[in-house]
Amino acid sequence: MNTVETRELTKIYGSGDTAVTALDSISIHAAEGEFVAVMGPSGCGKSTLLHLLGGLDHPTRGKVIISGQDVAEMTDDALTELRRRQMGFVFQFFNLLPVLSAVENAALPIMLDGVKPDEAKAKATEWLTRFGLADRLVNRPDQLSGGQQQRVAVARALVSEPKLVLADEPTGNLDTRSGDEIAALLREVSQKYGRTVVMVSHDPRIAAYADRIIFLKDGKVIDETVLEQKNGKNAEMVAERMTKLAH
Amino acid sequence: MNLNLTLAARYLAGRKLRTFLTTLAIVFGVVILFGMNIILPSMMQALEANMKAAAGVVDFSVTSVSGEAFDPAVMARLDGIQEITAIAPAFVRTFNLGADFFDNDPATADRITAIQLVGMDPDAVQTLRAFPIASGRFLQTSDSDAAVISQSLADALRLTVGDTLTLPTVNGLTDLTIVGLLPPRTLPGNEEVFVTLGAAQAMGGQPGRITTIDLNVALDAGDQEGRDAVAAEIQSSLGSSYVIGALTSGADVFAALQMGQAILSMFGIMALFMGGFVIHNTFRTVLMERQHDIGMLRAVGASRRTILNLFITEGLVQGVLGTLVGLALGYLFGVGILKFAEGPISTFVNIRLDTPVVEPGIVLLSIFMGIGVTVVAGVLPAVRASRISPLDALRPTSAQADFERERGRGFWVGALLVALSLVMLFIGQDAMIAAGGFVFLIGLVFLAPAIVRPITDMFSVLLGRLYAREGTGEVARGNMLRQPARVAATASATMIGLAVIVAVGAVLTSMTGTMTNLLRKNLGSDYLMVPPSIGLWASNVGASEGLAEELAAIQGVGPVATTRFAGSASEGVAISLLGIDPAIYPQVSGMAFQEGDESAYDDLAAGRSMIVNGAFLLATGAELGDTLELATPDGVQSYRIAAVAADMLNPKVTTAFISQANMAADFGRAEDVLIQLNLEEGAEAESVDSQIRALMHDYPQFNTIAGRAYVEQMLELLNVAFSALYFLLAFLAVPSLIAMLNTLAISVIERTREIGMLRAVGATRRQVRRMVTAEALLLAGIGTGMGLLSGLYLGYSWVVAMEAFFPLEYSFPIAGLIAGLSTGLIFGALAGLIPARQAAKMDVVAALRYE
Ligand SMILES: Nc1ncnc2c1ncn2[C@@H]1O[C@H](COP(=O)(O)OP(=O)(O)OP(=O)(O)O)[C@@H](O)[C@H]1O
Ligand SMILES: [Mg+2]
Repeated sequence: MNTVETRELTKIYGSGDTAVTALDSISIHAAEGEFVAVMGPSGCGKSTLLHLLGGLDHPTRGKVIISGQDVAEMTDDALTELRRRQMGFVFQFFNLLPVLSAVENAALPIMLDGVKPDEAKAKATEWLTRFGLADRLVNRPDQLSGGQQQRVAVARALVSEPKLVLADEPTGNLDTRSGDEIAALLREVSQKYGRTVVMVSHDPRIAAYADRIIFLKDGKVIDETVLEQKNGKNAEMVAERMTKLAH
Repeated sequence: MNLNLTLAARYLAGRKLRTFLTTLAIVFGVVILFGMNIILPSMMQALEANMKAAAGVVDFSVTSVSGEAFDPAVMARLDGIQEITAIAPAFVRTFNLGADFFDNDPATADRITAIQLVGMDPDAVQTLRAFPIASGRFLQTSDSDAAVISQSLADALRLTVGDTLTLPTVNGLTDLTIVGLLPPRTLPGNEEVFVTLGAAQAMGGQPGRITTIDLNVALDAGDQEGRDAVAAEIQSSLGSSYVIGALTSGADVFAALQMGQAILSMFGIMALFMGGFVIHNTFRTVLMERQHDIGMLRAVGASRRTILNLFITEGLVQGVLGTLVGLALGYLFGVGILKFAEGPISTFVNIRLDTPVVEPGIVLLSIFMGIGVTVVAGVLPAVRASRISPLDALRPTSAQADFERERGRGFWVGALLVALSLVMLFIGQDAMIAAGGFVFLIGLVFLAPAIVRPITDMFSVLLGRLYAREGTGEVARGNMLRQPARVAATASATMIGLAVIVAVGAVLTSMTGTMTNLLRKNLGSDYLMVPPSIGLWASNVGASEGLAEELAAIQGVGPVATTRFAGSASEGVAISLLGIDPAIYPQVSGMAFQEGDESAYDDLAAGRSMIVNGAFLLATGAELGDTLELATPDGVQSYRIAAVAADMLNPKVTTAFISQANMAADFGRAEDVLIQLNLEEGAEAESVDSQIRALMHDYPQFNTIAGRAYVEQMLELLNVAFSALYFLLAFLAVPSLIAMLNTLAISVIERTREIGMLRAVGATRRQVRRMVTAEALLLAGIGTGMGLLSGLYLGYSWVVAMEAFFPLEYSFPIAGLIAGLSTGLIFGALAGLIPARQAAKMDVVAALRYE
């Protein structure tokens, strides 16, 4: 079953002369446990797509269906609960609350869901330990490196055991080595923990960690490719494809 | 810990300076509201204790509604009530004694400044209560100048059985022989001097009258139901002219104190209002600052309600903290003032202040207001926060865009309000103008964001010159324009603070001017014989008509105008009646007429008419031309309001002037409590003076003063009172200082990263400091400009509003303007100091890491 799918999803910003069609009738899907990357040049609508998938924004036309439910038919409260229990987000910036420690930040979604603080923190600690942050639990975000902050964000995205993890340029702010670490981590999330991951990136090296890549241009899906992860040359292949598509 | 509390605590702790300043604003409001309300109830309670003690230990005390003396024949009406076991008439008067009456030594403080003269029937009263004589004997019916006093009074006066006690009475000094001593007095209140009924009536100038009927009933103290029934029976036998229970004399003091309390509470509420403004301002900033945090929280599953609760919790934490600290400091403040004021007050009103009184009601009100204001101020930003969509976490500019839209709307609302207030001003109706001041102020608050730019441009030309070489003025201007919402909020807080200063300045200037005029007119007679308590006439001992006649007989003395007093009530409102001779009074003294004119004196002479003051109209709700029923010792009488006028001595007391003829006929009072006289032209000043003083020697209850000297003395007192008001004003300006400090601190914190960058690219500490100071001055300039403008209007509207019950002529408040201007600019510079230093001290690396 598909964790998430869209049907002729269209998003138009503004109206009249200034209208911008950010997404133009897009139908895509991501299966359970699949790691999908979305690529494309700047302004092609990647972030817009991700926001719609997460129910953060409303489509102009078309549908977003998550676990069989049409997002458009849900109230704000139901959507909030859906996000809390079935989705995890990783953004490029502003991922963590500056006043909370790493473990508190990671525990946030389940604390909001009413889980007892001790229990929530224990669970968050588990995930942080898995991601190699066992010795940084009580540090505040400003005492962590960029890569460490993103790892806390990934831990937070997983703490509620969601079906779907959405990541928008999670490595955009990081150096190559940290970027690779986060991408590998997301791959682990889908392979080892069976979550569906949709990640936006414009970096071929990062996108190459995915099972499948969807290429967008001017709001339309222009290509799709399934990657064989045993092949070490994926990154070059993706980069080549990108340059070709750009013309 | 609960997530909300954790987050609130962390956010608050993360911005210590801002939290401190915000909470301080609430602390301040609560201190004033609570502190002020400790002071007055304490005085009231002391007064009440005084009166209860006066009521003695009998079951019931019957007095007339007016507090006046009445005919003892009334007692006969109670004959049929079987539960009454004992009954006795009494004549009770509190006599204020002049300063140093007993010790004749100004250097030592007076222990006894008033006594209660109790005249009673020795046989009847002993069936009512016991008098455990310690030495000597009790009174006998045949005594005429005998007195019984307590051991403690005897000790204070160094007298014993057989000695003579001299008291000032309406007939001059009266000598009493002490025949017996009672045990030392333990109750609070004035010492009592017991004499026979006849003696007391003579000393009080009301032969054959009594003030009180004391009675005991054959019922258990615990039988409340039975007692209520008897009380009802007594009441119906006597009619509505009489009250059962506590004495009503002193009701006028209560009225004055209550009015004072209302005014002081207003100050407190105003300070809280400003506190609310500061909090609102802070929350708005918090909202913008946390946009990403909130969006992120929403994205990971926080509901709108959670966000709302988060903000409200943060407000509550500060509200509770501020209120608690405010209560503690307010208590200390109240106690401090009471300690400080004890001396001066006791010479004014005859009460002793023991412990400060904290009424549960006022504690609750302070808590309710302190926390309530915080929550209310936080609700709007909280609701807006809850509307932030998760997408806003990723979009840095949306709040600013929101603001732009809001500003457009606010501009029109503001422009409309200001236009409306100007129309109100030009229509010129009193009520319109009174409301117009506030409308104008609120309009400016709305307009503020839109006028930030033009004013900033104007002032920055000036600052640009000051800081020409460094370009810091330019940066400051740029910062202001980038955050017009915050600038506008701060400017508004400053504006309100300064507007109040200028407005109160206008009221004070107008008051001083008007009062000086009135004083000269009202009390500018050549000689004044004044009692110790002016305005509180009931507690004064006056003189019989003989004194005025003797004064008039002195060669060189012209017209002699006397004022008499009687207590009364109309529909439950206590009224202070003053009797004047309508023919003579205008020659020596005068009033300022607000409605009607001097022809009202003729109405007074012609029939039952009265001239009332503004406080009277306010308290009774009556109007010029109305006829009111006044309670007299023998029922009610109808009096028509012939004019509304103010005199100097009773501005706050509900007062009505009637003719002395009517006062004698209806109220049975002919005792002069205030005497004013003029000298004939070409009189031998020195010899007249010595004759007058020789005559007044036997009436030490009066202070004999040359009128002009008295006016000067009063003006000095007025100045002291006004200085106190200015002091309070300074208090009110503090919240606006806090508001400015707050916003500036916020603006520095907000730009931490930017300042770090400036420093990194080579700005010196000095330049950063100057940049922030320039911003503070700009901010202060805007607030000051708007504050002075609205203050002028507000002041004018207040003066117009106050004219309703006190004659006032508007004077332009030059002093207030200067005070406002300098306060604004000095505060602006001060407010910039702390943030400027913080900004300059900032560590460059830490600043760049800051998120
Ligand atoms: N709130 C908005 N209002 C109007 N236009 C918008 C809005 N958000 C996005 N757009 C427009 O929609 C298009 C798609 O934007 P989107 O942010 O999805 O691009 P993107 O692929 O994520 O680009 P990038 O790689 O630069 O992040 C762009 O042309 C953008 O200008
Ligand atoms: Mg994007």
